[in-house]
Amino acid sequence: MKHFRKLTIPYIVWCVIFILIPLLLIAIYAFTTGGNEVRTLNFTLSNFAKINEATYIKVFIKSLELGFLTTGICLAAGYPLAYIISRAPEESQDMLIMGVTIPTWINMLLRTYAWMNLLSDNGIINTLLGMLGIDPVHMMYTNFSVILGMVCNFMPFMIIPIHTSLRKMDHSLIEAAMDLGANPFQTFRRIILKLSMPGVINGVVLVFLMAISSFVIPKLLGGGQFVLIGNLIESQFISIGDWNFGSAISLILAAIILIALRLMKKMDLKEVEEN
Amino acid sequence: MRKYNGFWARLYIAVCFAFFYLPIIVTVIFSFNSSKSLSHFTGFSLRWYSALIEDNEIVQAVYVSVTIAVIATIVSTILGTMTAIGLSRSRKVLKDAILSINDIPILNPDIVTAISWMLLFSSMGLAKGYFTMLLAHIGFCTPFVITSVYPKVRSLDPNLANAAMDLGATPVQALTKVILPMIKPGIFAGILLAFTMSFDDFVISYFVTGNGVKNISIVVYNMTKRINPIINALSTIVIVVIVAILIVVNLTPRIVEKRAAARRAARDAAGAAAIESSGDSGIYRPSEHRHRRIGAGALIAVLGIALVAGSYAAAKKSSSSSAGAVRELRVYNAGEYMDLSLLDRFQQEYNCTVIYETFDSNEMMYTKLLAGDQYDILVPSDYMIERLIKEDYLQPIDWSLISNKDAIDPNVMDKAYDPGNVYSVPYFWGSVGILYDKTVVDKKDLKDGWNLLMNTKYKGNLYMYDSERDSFMVALKALGYSMNTTDEKQINDAYEWLIRQRRTMDPIYAGDDVIDNMISGNKAMAVVYSGDAAMIMSENDKLDYFEPPEGTNNWYDAMVITRDCRNVGLAHDFIDFMLQEDVAEQNTAYVGYSSPVKAVYEKMQKGTYAGIDAYVPRTGYGKDEIFGYQDTDIKKLFAQLWTKVKAQ
Repeated sequence: MKHFRKLTIPYIVWCVIFILIPLLLIAIYAFTTGGNEVRTLNFTLSNFAKINEATYIKVFIKSLELGFLTTGICLAAGYPLAYIISRAPEESQDMLIMGVTIPTWINMLLRTYAWMNLLSDNGIINTLLGMLGIDPVHMMYTNFSVILGMVCNFMPFMIIPIHTSLRKMDHSLIEAAMDLGANPFQTFRRIILKLSMPGVINGVVLVFLMAISSFVIPKLLGGGQFVLIGNLIESQFISIGDWNFGSAISLILAAIILIALRLMKKMDLKEVEEN
Repeated sequence: MRKYNGFWARLYIAVCFAFFYLPIIVTVIFSFNSSKSLSHFTGFSLRWYSALIEDNEIVQAVYVSVTIAVIATIVSTILGTMTAIGLSRSRKVLKDAILSINDIPILNPDIVTAISWMLLFSSMGLAKGYFTMLLAHIGFCTPFVITSVYPKVRSLDPNLANAAMDLGATPVQALTKVILPMIKPGIFAGILLAFTMSFDDFVISYFVTGNGVKNISIVVYNMTKRINPIINALSTIVIVVIVAILIVVNLTPRIVEKRAAARRAARDAAGAAAIESSGDSGIYRPSEHRHRRIGAGALIAVLGIALVAGSYAAAKKSSSSSAGAVRELRVYNAGEYMDLSLLDRFQQEYNCTVIYETFDSNEMMYTKLLAGDQYDILVPSDYMIERLIKEDYLQPIDWSLISNKDAIDPNVMDKAYDPGNVYSVPYFWGSVGILYDKTVVDKKDLKDGWNLLMNTKYKGNLYMYDSERDSFMVALKALGYSMNTTDEKQINDAYEWLIRQRRTMDPIYAGDDVIDNMISGNKAMAVVYSGDAAMIMSENDKLDYFEPPEGTNNWYDAMVITRDCRNVGLAHDFIDFMLQEDVAEQNTAYVGYSSPVKAVYEKMQKGTYAGIDAYVPRTGYGKDEIFGYQDTDIKKLFAQLWTKVKAQ
């Protein structure tokens, strides 16, 4: 059992330098005041107290809402796609998964700009609608445009892990379940969904994280009035220069995510145990 | 359940792919557009492709993006796989600890990770650039590799490796012959994820890079002011290369495979029983051959691109800077604020290399300085210059070295932010006003001044500028206060004004995207800077520019030399060069902002910008002001109030 243990040593060193120390820097900022000079440390909790204000709480709620919505849509739309791909002939599977991956290699900002051109008031979609005699639809700078942009950008990260776990699933189990009298719904819930749970959890976590902390997509597709946690943190660091407050918000965001993740992990463990 | 390749399944795949590829198709189509417009196709042309080959900055960025993605993927895959295997054998405490720590970079918002690494690299004294960007990319790719490999390792039967060793395999053999083949799908997933993350990253790269090292995302981001169709051409090439190679890689073996199909089928049938009995533990399947081939094909593709782009970039570099040129000048300017061909000219004339970087806002620039980034020349705005002088970031200009001193319009000199121009030389100047659509906005409504932005006739039809100082300037001026006020009651009134406007008018708080939006005529009104207005008006003649009678912001952007400038002589040469008449003319014609060089300013009013009043900002008007230095508390107050307005 002891073989290969030493393989972790390089990464332990790496973790200390590139994860723990930077995190410590952020934590120091979150619990201190005194501008941006680390030399003048004054312990305080006021950065956290500041968050307890209607406006900021609203930002948190809105971010969570959008995060859940985006993740839900990605899951609802991505799961069937991952399933269909996993049932395709072996040769097509790789092509299809590649097809899902390629868009993510094209710059994210660039794809977002393309959406801006598609959705804007005088944009491509409205021009086409106009040709059909339909009145222009206002799409830019709304919840719709932001969620659309996020779903388009993040859905591959839902599909790939789900597909990975569906692919390795033994399909004879499905046949066995059906033979034993399970209806399609039961088969799906008890066998397919259960076996693909690790992939689902991976995908949900990944998409939720990206959705809740993204700031470029809301900024470009939602306009400046679209303030999510990510935008709040960005503005504290970049335009306002209140690194202490920004760090405090980051820590709270990390805490929320940590709790969500713990819940997910528990579900994952339960699944494993039940199996 | 068997019918999953039926009609509906195919339709569903088609719909999803249409959704994924729609923005890409738009990109490809518009890369062939003959005009700069990104929403109206005016005709077929290859001009953006020829411009791409000429564009040094983009070619370099491709090289940086691809090489960093490849190296970071290789390193993080090796590091991550090693760690995942090691962890599966480690004690639970250590395992849990490492896995939790490993989650941190994945959990943290990119922006926080970025800032924390920026602080780390500064405190380690590492010069920011290619190496720091590479370290950061390895840093955020490795956790993803671990999360995709580790579950595979965990699902392995640990006895398999032990059995191999009992049967005489060395640990290395057990690793390469037993463990690695079985966790291959996880490793490939990790590779794919790492490469994708690295190739696409913007936020982290943006903060940890320096010294002019840019990847594609940073270049694209810097183009926000005016989207450059060259980048569409680049994307199209990337797509075509990836797709072509995938097709070749996939089709060739398929033909070979068909011949061997019969043999393989027989073997699979024989092995089926064994597969069934060992259940679901990462069995080596024929499909993984193909998986590997795709991975290899993709790798060859990107390496190919890297090689071509790299050698091209190198060739360009060696041709543009003749041998022995070691003189360097690091310039930090706002994005899309200079005709970059002028840099090439300067480099040739002065036999030096200019490392040119751009920022988004004065605050962004200040953050970078605070984090220890070094530059020779900065081009900040008035109030930021005042701050930099107060905080001792600058050194005085030696005016005896500026031969074009007398060409500067005396009207733009000696302003409150830097009396006597001890530290700064004007670069561009202008005002802030309302750009409006003459066909929509009633001329009579203009008498309301800034309160035009409160006229409910135009509800949902206007852009505000997403910047706290500019928005509060509008509100304070509309209320008849000074925009430099520190009176909390007045500030609060302005806050109420903005809240009321938000509720009744439904404005969009736009950034630089307002430029493209106004050119396409998406809304009737926008608060804009005069230079942007001039540029927009030269593209859309339905618009007009208006400076409200309550007064506005008169602003000046100027060149300053940093205290730790490494080549003071060259810095002065650069400043002098920018004031040269032909240079200033080319620059102002390109950017649209008003030149401080008097002769050029006057010439432009008769030439390129004839009839465009935004090029001639109002001067000498009593109610106009310049932004002053804000102390930290007031600055924070404005910033937090503005956040509240936006987050309503």
